[in-house]
Amino acid sequence: MTTTLPVADQASTFRQLRARLLRNGLRVALEHSRTRLVTMLGTSAFVFGFTFAVGMYLFNQLAKTNVPFKGGIVEGLFDLMFFTLGTMLVFSTGLILYASLFTSPEARYLLCSPARADRIFATKFQAAVAFSSWGFVVLGIPIFLAYGIVSGVPWYFYALLPAYLLGYVLLPGSFSAALCLLLVRYMPRNRRQFLVVVALIAAAVLGFWLYKVGMGLKRSAATGGREIDDLIGQFDLFRSGFAPSHWMTRGVMAAARDDLTGALIPLAQVWSNGLLMYVLAAWVAKRVYRTAYDRIAGGGRGKKIYKTSWLDRVMEGMVFYLDRRTRTLVVKDFRTFRRDPTQWAVLILFALLMMLGASNFRQYYSAGLAVMDKYAVSLMNLCGTAILLCAGLSRFMFPLISLEGRKFWILGLTPVSRDQLLWGKFVFATTGALVIAETLILVSDVLIGLPWEGIVLHAAVMAVVAVGLSGLNVGLGAYLPNFKETDPSKIVVGFGGTVNMVVGLGFLVIVIGTMAVPMHTAQLAKAASVAAGGSDAINPWVYVGVPVGLVVGALAVVLPLRAGARSLRAMEF
Amino acid sequence: MIDITNVSKSYGPKVAVQDLSLHIPDGELFAFLGPNGAGKTTTIKMLCGLLFPTTGSVRVGGFDLRTHGDQARALVSYVPDQPFLYEKLTGREFLQFTADLYAMPREKAAEKIDEVIELFHLDEFVDDLTERYSHGMRQRTVFASALVHDPKLLIADEPTVGLDPKSIRELKTLLRKLADGGTTVFLSTHTLDIAQELADRIGIIDRGRLLGCGTMTDLRKHAAMDGNLEELFLKITEEPAVEVPV
Repeated sequence: MTTTLPVADQASTFRQLRARLLRNGLRVALEHSRTRLVTMLGTSAFVFGFTFAVGMYLFNQLAKTNVPFKGGIVEGLFDLMFFTLGTMLVFSTGLILYASLFTSPEARYLLCSPARADRIFATKFQAAVAFSSWGFVVLGIPIFLAYGIVSGVPWYFYALLPAYLLGYVLLPGSFSAALCLLLVRYMPRNRRQFLVVVALIAAAVLGFWLYKVGMGLKRSAATGGREIDDLIGQFDLFRSGFAPSHWMTRGVMAAARDDLTGALIPLAQVWSNGLLMYVLAAWVAKRVYRTAYDRIAGGGRGKKIYKTSWLDRVMEGMVFYLDRRTRTLVVKDFRTFRRDPTQWAVLILFALLMMLGASNFRQYYSAGLAVMDKYAVSLMNLCGTAILLCAGLSRFMFPLISLEGRKFWILGLTPVSRDQLLWGKFVFATTGALVIAETLILVSDVLIGLPWEGIVLHAAVMAVVAVGLSGLNVGLGAYLPNFKETDPSKIVVGFGGTVNMVVGLGFLVIVIGTMAVPMHTAQLAKAASVAAGGSDAINPWVYVGVPVGLVVGALAVVLPLRAGARSLRAMEF
Repeated sequence: MIDITNVSKSYGPKVAVQDLSLHIPDGELFAFLGPNGAGKTTTIKMLCGLLFPTTGSVRVGGFDLRTHGDQARALVSYVPDQPFLYEKLTGREFLQFTADLYAMPREKAAEKIDEVIELFHLDEFVDDLTERYSHGMRQRTVFASALVHDPKLLIADEPTVGLDPKSIRELKTLLRKLADGGTTVFLSTHTLDIAQELADRIGIIDRGRLLGCGTMTDLRKHAAMDGNLEELFLKITEEPAVEVPV
């Protein structure tokens, strides 16, 4: 047997690696990707500021209704918030870790080296947790800042805040990491069947719980808040002494009440349990990571036979007005889209959440409970759908031309003109965007009970948004292509993708701001005026922004597509 | 250096490698040939410790990859057909990382890094970030990092893809020199000329079974025909997969 080689200080080696990657990445970002960096920081600052403003508003509202800031109701709210954020962290860390431990080229490279399994896990875990907790910090800190400012807390409340949030990230992250490793290692061979059963059980439990919460909320609202026991009872699970979210709440509330000892004990509890869970996860990684990798790589799948689907025929029917060649291109793009579940899963998830929210609102509304104004809610739905569309089209439509570029010679040799190619992608994007966005907005508006003029206006706004965003994404995708990259997600975060995203968001602000916001503002003002015994008239000038939005929409289609077509025609392959 | 004993590897219902046994001594340059999907890459992945055999055992330098994987991998360098580099590291930083990972003393690492930079002519771009490298530059950098720690076993999967003719010539000379110096080289390739020119022994695998293994003379005897490696390869792989004594 050959003698054992010296053992490397792998912790230090990986620390240096991360430091170098960070330093070089920052340098490159500062030198070559300032737009991207500024966009990232700007977006984070915007989200931070927006959350802070909303937090200030809501806590001030609580102050007006004389709700005790350091009492049971706020404690319940914090419990709910920490539990929700913790659950989100479990899912996001698990997903990121799964990808980075089992599918990334880096993991494959490191597993072939003498790097220890727990060391590879540690380095991947830190990256995953840092990535997934970014949102937690950006959302969590402004809420507590707002709380601290409005309620008046001692100075160390602010000093302890980062320690609480960082410590809390460890526990769900480590739990999720260990769960991910164990699932991959010991999941039954028939993965799909197993996952479907687990998902169904989870959905049933969640559905039942949401139903109970809904009933409790309804009862509470019906009695003007007098009977809230039912509602509070539904949250007992994460208010118990075993729930880490409750340790956080206890500590934060104690700090707010100027009880330093009471604040430090839960903090120690959060950190010690988080670290213990991390050590446990690293131990699990040491034991099972390599065999789990082997299992996933050697799992094998039955040979899947892909056939044409009736959905392809529906898509082809929807673009019947195109010539046959362009139709073929559209169906090809659609087939690629539908065969990748990651592309449409988020859309379905969002649609379901939106429908759930809208149907709940309808229940309150039909019960005569003006919990929230339908105009405010429907405007939120409109904005949410538009942002979802913007993100979806940026992710899936913008990189289409860049990805074609790598096999451009195939298209270059076919008897399809490049204008046709661009036109086909535009039609594909527009058809899909219109169907999804109009369905979402119309169904949710009907569920909410919005009057017909509001529904018509929303349909028009959505049409302008869908067509305009499709033109922007396809046109800019051709004008600012990235042929070097094969990974669409990297194309999206590159220079062209960032410009496209920023322009798209700007477009949304203008279209919604000119076409929809004036009407909603007027309706909200009317409701206030009627309540005060004033007039219920709506000034027709609120619709003057509609033609402006239409012109902006037309420009968003024509200008980028023209620039993209020119760029595509000049392209060599 | 390599002891593969009755190894089988299944991907679900599909058997990728079936009852493979192979012994490769120190300092041998072994070429592993086979059609696409024959089981070459699976065998390589088991040699690197990335996958474990379903049955049988794989030992490198006396260490069983399943029970003493860390020690075994410390002896091995693997150059895959699609090389991995950290995009936000320079070539030099990547070489340093590799040296650190293999626990090389600082001075020795610095010496070896300079040596491989010169050997693979990396000096013009070694201080650029690897995200700007062409495929050939990446391949040369990965080779340099594979050799920086003086491995006892070098495994290369299609090492000449993306290299220019001059680099291929230099690589061939280097591989032969390494084997002559005592390093075992396990080469998987579709370029039969290279295998015929360089290898001490050649193994031919198809549908997971080793169909033939030995020197050119052994293979000619096995195929019962005279000719170059291309002709032998076609003859051996056209026959139905039957067990052949190794």
